Amino acid sequence: MNKRFLIVLFIVSFSVKAQGERFTFGFLPEASLSYKISENYSVTHKIESQNGIYDSNNLNEELEYVHRLTDLQSFISRKLSPFVKAGIGYQYRIEEGENTHRTIQQVSILQRESFYRIGHRIRIDETFYKEAPLLFRARYRIKGQVPLQGLSLDPGEKYLSVSNELIYMTQSSEDDLENRFAVSLGFYFDDKNKFEVGLDYRTDDYLVEDRFRHRLWFKLGYYKSL
Amino acid sequence: MLQINTILFFLLCVAIGNAQEKNEVEKRVKKGEVHERAIEWLNDAFEKKRKTKWYLQTDGEKEVFEAKLKHKNHLHSVEFDLDGNVRNVEVLIDENELEREVLKVILTYLKANYTKFSISKIQIQYTGEGENLEDVIDEDEFEDITINYEIEFYGKSDTEDELWEGLFDAKGTFLEKRVINLKATDNLDY
Repeated sequence: MNKRFLIVLFIVSFSVKAQGERFTFGFLPEASLSYKISENYSVTHKIESQNGIYDSNNLNEELEYVHRLTDLQSFISRKLSPFVKAGIGYQYRIEEGENTHRTIQQVSILQRESFYRIGHRIRIDETFYKEAPLLFRARYRIKGQVPLQGLSLDPGEKYLSVSNELIYMTQSSEDDLENRFAVSLGFYFDDKNKFEVGLDYRTDDYLVEDRFRHRLWFKLGYYKSL
Repeated sequence: MLQINTILFFLLCVAIGNAQEKNEVEKRVKKGEVHERAIEWLNDAFEKKRKTKWYLQTDGEKEVFEAKLKHKNHLHSVEFDLDGNVRNVEVLIDENELEREVLKVILTYLKANYTKFSISKIQIQYTGEGENLEDVIDEDEFEDITINYEIEFYGKSDTEDELWEGLFDAKGTFLEKRVINLKATDNLDY
């Protein structure tokens, strides 16, 4: 398993390199804590950290650990119907160079099917920099969740989740696209505790010439609600 | 005094409101943990050995064992008490399998009570004595059996906007309902 994974990594990085594109690999742990504050309102706090261990731009090609950034997010959401939630959030990003502030607005829609469910998320966010102009992004994510043991997801069972997110961003009239595709294995301990482990493949700089970038993250996420 | 009454009334409403919510938790259990009587009943009723999944279901107040299996292409859920006595059998069906007259009555209720609604799941619920329930499964006989329909539906009115589990009788007349609390969506939202 490990060997195969390294081979795939090698092939991807090699093929990417042949085209002069940048490839990075790293770990992306995240954890979220959600709780209700009233019948219709809930609060979510999330921490996420990007840790690089491989970068094709490194001259010596050796694995090297770099803490890229850590995000601290807080959201407050209002339930609009059993299936629709609207929320606003704030993110503080800790990064080398400059820590940034971001405001987030989102609507999430739950689509229930007979044995699987799909979450749609429409989000816009604004990132503020000291020197650079405002970065505006509009994003849509679709995430499906399928039980792997039987037709319904019950405590102690596993599930598969697949998601794709398309992000449009614009900063001082320069725009770009990013895509994030992720596949994870989920552990549904109970409704208040979920753990997901998988790969998150991100490509960006689609609209910028000669700067196409591939990022592969090994993602670990814990979702806790009270 | 009036104020205290108001508060008490409010608290009572909250308490009743909570009692009417559906918060079922199912835990997978091994066949060995289930009462023998339940396994015997299941083997007699469904005859052929089938792939059965056993669950211990809790809704906060009572605990029951539930067996889930496929029979005649329909998902069957059989509920037993902790002593292994069968309580009811539920069969998952499609909307078009429901008798037209019954569906008509149910739709009339939904139209009258909600501005927006949609049915997401229909189960026929057979309740009765063990022997009679066995006849429902292996003989298609319905003597001394209470037939109800357990229907999961989304219903929005001016005052309510929820996912419901409604119980309707054999003719489709509304009996009772409770709110279904959906599974957490934190991993889909953030």
